[in-house]
Amino acid sequence: MSTEHTPRSDKELWRSVAPDRSSSPAAVSDLDFAAWLDGRLSHGEAARIEAALADNPDLRTAALELADILGTPLPAAPPRVAVRAQALVGFAAERSPGNKLRATGAGLLAALLPSFGQGFSLQRGVMAGLAVVVAAVGFTLGGGLGNSFVAQRYASATVVRSFGTDTSQQLNDLFTDSL
Amino acid sequence: MNELNQIDLRSLVAGHKRAWDAFVQAASPLIHAVVRRSLGAYRLGDDDVLDATQDVFVRLCANDFRLLKTYDPARAGLSTWLAVVARSAAIDFARRRRQPTAPIDDVPEAALAIEDRHVEKLKIPEGLLTERQTLILRCLYEEERDVAEVAQLLKVDAQTIRSTHHKALLRLREHFRERTP
Repeated sequence: MSTEHTPRSDKELWRSVAPDRSSSPAAVSDLDFAAWLDGRLSHGEAARIEAALADNPDLRTAALELADILGTPLPAAPPRVAVRAQALVGFAAERSPGNKLRATGAGLLAALLPSFGQGFSLQRGVMAGLAVVVAAVGFTLGGGLGNSFVAQRYASATVVRSFGTDTSQQLNDLFTDSL
Repeated sequence: MNELNQIDLRSLVAGHKRAWDAFVQAASPLIHAVVRRSLGAYRLGDDDVLDATQDVFVRLCANDFRLLKTYDPARAGLSTWLAVVARSAAIDFARRRRQPTAPIDDVPEAALAIEDRHVEKLKIPEGLLTERQTLILRCLYEEERDVAEVAQLLKVDAQTIRSTHHKALLRLREHFRERTP
């Protein structure tokens, strides 16, 4: 029996000896991981992260992807990204403690209503004002309350007169026929 | 990403609108790129990428900027930390939506291999390889990455990766040759 072994390829050798993935891979914080990616860790700290990377394929994939992205020029994001994200934080006046106190004292109903911010309140007020103006202009153009009342009275008088006329006519016809 | 280094972090975590808007402008390309790349395996659409990107910004400013306050400039660069946070958030987002799928050609051969459980594996004794050597061998043989990618990851030149790889294999061969009768 020969004692000489056929040399295996590097890849085969590694596959035959590679340790299995640990059932509970070591946790690595985002900040430690970022520090390792930046190469800012000491030798001992870096070894801990590298051991975690060697043990965890997901973490390894993350590291390889992030290293690739951070090393290449990035395309601009769609404008919607910034617009939506900027809307997440309001103006300083909305966040001041005095404003919070005023909001607290605004009453139970106000507390129950959802807060949409100062911009929304202003918009709501302007819309309500415009609605009042439109209603007032329409009312004035329609003749106002006085004209409307006269028209209503005239209409009812016409109906009464019409009814009366018909009744008189019927009575007249009746008496005429009887004669 | 240079603009990110000019962000006034104190104003940002104090909730100043101008600082937040400047931060969003500077960070959007990076966060969007990381989210897009991370969601690639999940086959999610553009709207999902936008939603997941927004999810990252929500995380950053939620609870009075609690997550942003955990960032320490002395430990890592802001762009690197944001990239890590964005990837974690994107993966969480994708797991809530859909299971990952990958074309079979993109899956490394090692991941598809069926292991014969009857064969007892040789064990590498602790300390035979350094953590870095193990990581390099994993990246080359299990992730099937090329030397340049691993060099970029470890911030060393390609020759250093080749040399470390060579030394690791020599150690393995020597160790198992000694053990072989």
